[in-house]
Amino acid sequence: MFQSFRLSMAWLHTWFGLTLGFVLMVVFFFGALSVFDREIDRWAVPQSRFEPQPIPSFDKILRPVFEQMQPTQEAIAEMAPRVNGPMPETYPVIERMGAYTTHRDPVLNLFIGFDVPNAKDPEEAIWAYRTIDPRNGASLPDDRLKIGSEFFYPLHYSLNLHWRDIGTWIVGSAALVMLAALVSGVVMHRKIFREFFTFRPGKTSQRSVLDLHNLTGVVALPFHFFFALTGLVIFAGIYFPVGHTQLDPLHEMSERLEAAETGLPHDRAGVAAPLASVDAMVADAQRRWHEKGMAGEVGFLTLQHVGDANGYVSVYRAGTDRIALTGEGIHYKAATGELLREDPAPGFVDNLNEFLTGLHLQHFRHWLLRWLYVLGGLTGCVCIATGFIFFVEKRKRQHAKQGIQGARLVDALAVTTVTGMVLAALGMLIANKLLPDSLPAGWPPRGDLEQYAFWGSWLLAFIHALARSGPVAAGRLSPAWAEQCRAIAVLAPLAVLLNWIITGDHLLRTLSALYWPVAGLDLCLLASAGVALLAAAKLKRRALAAPAIDTAKREAAHA
Amino acid sequence: MPEIMMLSVAMLASIAGMGWLALAMEAHWGQVFGPHAQRPRTIRGLRVGGGLALALSLGLCLGADHPSMAALVWIMTLAAGALAVAFTLSWRPGLLRVLLPGI
Repeated sequence: MFQSFRLSMAWLHTWFGLTLGFVLMVVFFFGALSVFDREIDRWAVPQSRFEPQPIPSFDKILRPVFEQMQPTQEAIAEMAPRVNGPMPETYPVIERMGAYTTHRDPVLNLFIGFDVPNAKDPEEAIWAYRTIDPRNGASLPDDRLKIGSEFFYPLHYSLNLHWRDIGTWIVGSAALVMLAALVSGVVMHRKIFREFFTFRPGKTSQRSVLDLHNLTGVVALPFHFFFALTGLVIFAGIYFPVGHTQLDPLHEMSERLEAAETGLPHDRAGVAAPLASVDAMVADAQRRWHEKGMAGEVGFLTLQHVGDANGYVSVYRAGTDRIALTGEGIHYKAATGELLREDPAPGFVDNLNEFLTGLHLQHFRHWLLRWLYVLGGLTGCVCIATGFIFFVEKRKRQHAKQGIQGARLVDALAVTTVTGMVLAALGMLIANKLLPDSLPAGWPPRGDLEQYAFWGSWLLAFIHALARSGPVAAGRLSPAWAEQCRAIAVLAPLAVLLNWIITGDHLLRTLSALYWPVAGLDLCLLASAGVALLAAAKLKRRALAAPAIDTAKREAAHA
Repeated sequence: MPEIMMLSVAMLASIAGMGWLALAMEAHWGQVFGPHAQRPRTIRGLRVGGGLALALSLGLCLGADHPSMAALVWIMTLAAGALAVAFTLSWRPGLLRVLLPGI
């Protein structure tokens, strides 16, 4: 089919990269933002602007909150199709409940799963969630969307398309294509070592764009490779769902065997039992970790089969001192507080799996590595964006002569995914600050409106990019690039200004208090405005100089 | 040495190591010292020096953190160092003269 292996790799790299590159761009950009998802949450939810807290006393603070929690009307309506007959009136039986936090969370996330006796899948529970201030147990308003951890982060792995997990599948295929693009890219690249440090901004735009594409691809190659790979490993259970399809009976048996082996009951006994002091169990777990010389903060606390004689409490460590996503879980009998089991040290396969997933999920406490991950993610964005631009630069004159619209369309899509995506994120942050604290009756929830602002801004950016793409069809530069850069330069400082006006936390205050979550995001917004201004100025110069360069080149070619 | 110092020096060592490796290449030597500058006979010295600086960076990362974390930090400092050197070569190549003060 192709004359050489290298040409077939080039075909693969070009066309697969083009089709799924747009998805990868979203994955890389919002992945880079997700490194600081909790910090973006602080910016978005002013009520949560305080220092990170350890998990509070279960007996005094968490237990009363759990006792009030009930599934929402939306959750009940959502589950209704999956039960036989009507949904139950009350939910007295708690299957599971727990609390989850990290070393960067001031607020605490609680979840609770109630048994639904007539559910079609007897294992399925109905869930309720709450976010509390762990210092006093007060609940945060339900309609506050944590933009970082509840929108940007899931956008990074699921595009927030939840219907049949379609978004997760699209991202998974993009990750697979990315691995193929990395391998084919290395095969195509003739001078990996000779041009390792090479970026020649003064050369023709096609050459300098290719330099930047190669540079950002090669120097961060280990990062690109391992993040695509570990992303796939994390979702292996979704991509190969054998556990609950073909092998369901085996899975069920394995769960029972595991329960027998670990001594942690798989089912309820059906006999009511009281709950002993969970605080005493947590204190015991911390003492055991301490004896092994490990940092002893609790990251995850769950109660299984609540109120039953078979109930047990599991205490997991927040693994801030390791890459591996370990928990060193310790389990206690809920009724008596008697130790049931200490998880043994993981074997080689578990160790590897925990390292690979931990590397991607970043529960560790290491600010330098976090920033280096942001650098890696943005390097990936530059690599993909320059790939699009190279595609367009290589073809636009040819397409202009032949009257094909291909380069024009790709260029408009590139504008939408590069600058348009930043505008969408800014639109969301601005909506977050402009929406009033309590909305008029009949309005959609606040978080939904913020999401509409995101998708709406992105759609506007796409329409603008398409409408202004005419010059590309004539072989010139689209003015949409510079115009959207200028829009970023206006909107990013506006978000900072609105944060000041609405919450009173201006940069002088957050910097002098060293409250980095908010100060850091404000500074990053200002920095992106600066970069956007520089880019706009550069694009203007290039647009003015472009015809001259073109004639010069043609003359040189004729000479 | 406190952790933050070790990591800062590791970052600097990665940048310097990448810089020496770049200077060992003819084209980049020309960018920094002028196209007609006499190249030293010790290209090998630059390569070895660059390699040693990167090894020093790894050692410092290992001193600061658990090995699993240190490996990731080190690999990422290599990427950051290579980018820093490449962009310096593009826009301010003269700055890399600090890596060879005698010349």
